[in-house]
Amino acid sequence: MQNIKLLSAFLKVNIQMALAYRADTVVNILLNLMWLGWELLSLNIIFSNTTTLGGWGIGELIALLGVFRLVNTLMIALIWPNTEKFNQSIRDGSMDYTILQPVNSMFLVTFSRITVWRIWDLVLAVILIVVGINMAGDVTTPLNILTFILLAITGTLIIYSLWIVLIAMTFWFTKFDNNVTILQALLDSGRYPATVYPAWLRIIVTFIIPIAVATTIPLQALRGELGAGQVVLFVAISIISFWAASIVWKLGLKRYSGASS
Amino acid sequence: MPTNSITVEQLSKTYQVPEREAGFNAAVRSFFKRKYKDVKAVQEVNFNIAQGEIVGFLGPNGAGKTTTLKMLSGLLHPSSGKASVLGFTPWELKPEYLRSMTLVMGQRNRLSWDIPAADSFLLNQAIYRIPDDEYKQTYKELDELLELDPLMKKPVRNLSLGERMKCEIAAGLLHRPKVLFLDEPTIGLDITGQVRIREFLREYNKRTGATILLTSHYMADVTALCERIIIIHQGQLKYDGGITDLSHKIAPFKLIGVMLADADSHDLSGYGTQVQNEEDADKRYIQVKAEDVTRITSKLLADLPVHDITITDPPIEDVIEQAFNQ
Repeated sequence: MQNIKLLSAFLKVNIQMALAYRADTVVNILLNLMWLGWELLSLNIIFSNTTTLGGWGIGELIALLGVFRLVNTLMIALIWPNTEKFNQSIRDGSMDYTILQPVNSMFLVTFSRITVWRIWDLVLAVILIVVGINMAGDVTTPLNILTFILLAITGTLIIYSLWIVLIAMTFWFTKFDNNVTILQALLDSGRYPATVYPAWLRIIVTFIIPIAVATTIPLQALRGELGAGQVVLFVAISIISFWAASIVWKLGLKRYSGASS
Repeated sequence: MPTNSITVEQLSKTYQVPEREAGFNAAVRSFFKRKYKDVKAVQEVNFNIAQGEIVGFLGPNGAGKTTTLKMLSGLLHPSSGKASVLGFTPWELKPEYLRSMTLVMGQRNRLSWDIPAADSFLLNQAIYRIPDDEYKQTYKELDELLELDPLMKKPVRNLSLGERMKCEIAAGLLHRPKVLFLDEPTIGLDITGQVRIREFLREYNKRTGATILLTSHYMADVTALCERIIIIHQGQLKYDGGITDLSHKIAPFKLIGVMLADADSHDLSGYGTQVQNEEDADKRYIQVKAEDVTRITSKLLADLPVHDITITDPPIEDVIEQAFNQ
């Protein structure tokens, strides 16, 4: 409850910050629209030549694009701006203030910046998912939709944990500004279904670097392709990775307090 | 006997700092094999601070002041030793502890640059879970002392340094901390700005009984606010005691200023060490040992055509300078 209050306080402050520079806000919204147009266009180009990709039809691919955009919105609205702020706060020392606030520092680092004008992107993503499912003519059961939501959350949690580990590396390396670039590169590989990749690469994409987990896997659940065992496995993986990330974060903080001056 | 807010026992902090020779080859070598040097920033420091005390923490750059403040606020783990603030071990970072202390660093910003301070204050209210009525009350009190209202509507980036500092300090006090760690709270401010912050801190201490430990480069901050000072130099505690006792202990000297009828024709070197005093060019000053003051004063009065004579303590800056050099 307290965290929701705090989250809404952060949201308010970020809306205020977004509105502080008018030209900047307008340009950002326009750019975002253009980007969506480009995404749809490139998808159209792929499908004017092929009707399926790795065994997936156009409707399913639109749904996948929706899920991808959902994750990508989180990247752009939360991960990127907060990483930028985090890297800067390590350099200019304002991390000190973050640590001394009586709130979980991982929470603060995650939500203190929110690129608010990206939030309407979430709506577009949901529309893509719904339209895509309809076009594919999939008959989804409520159970499949629930599993889809559950796996989208666990997938996000896995990406999030990976992000925490990557930025926590900064505590050891002092300067590690490419932390999110690495994550973004991994995430971009999840834009197309994991089955597009050769088997060896698929293993890396799905398991070793678990980005597809947040895009392809939930969609497979929606299509009813996943067994209960697999669902449990993904939930377990997400819990374990979140737990591991929290530990790395705590060690990082300890390292920071041991080494900085 | 007031209870101690802060106790520090044998507190030490040693850093490892990467070190290399100048030059290209050394840079490449250092990339593969890094050499570290131990820097003893703070060495076995002990002190206690009672509740409600204002203590000045002095020392030249690199003396270990900020390191000590960071350990006491909980940012740094010490290499060895113990510290307790309000009964908490600071570096455990317990939320109850963090809610009852504040650290204000004059050289760092906690307010968001692009929005008015009032909005950042509200964020702090959420972070520290301050109930609305309590927040309003605290804000009202801070506004009375710091005249915040006119500053609240402008984006922080449009405030002057002095105005911003007022807001920074207020932001750090919204949750009514019982212990204040202030690292150079008046740095970069003009005299009026410094005086205003000083007056505020004194009044705040009087009203709330908060314990204040502050570092400053401006001696006037310390002489105006603190009855007690702690001097640290090269990581070691050099002095802990009253600001007036300092001169007796470290530099048991007095300054005798004399105004003579024909000032330049007399040789004063036989009476004591002559010192320059830019502020008062009419008088000539000699520094004598405290126990010799009476004897030399009467000798001066007997020997020379004295128009006026004053006996003062040497300026605190000079005394502290001497303390550093011991």
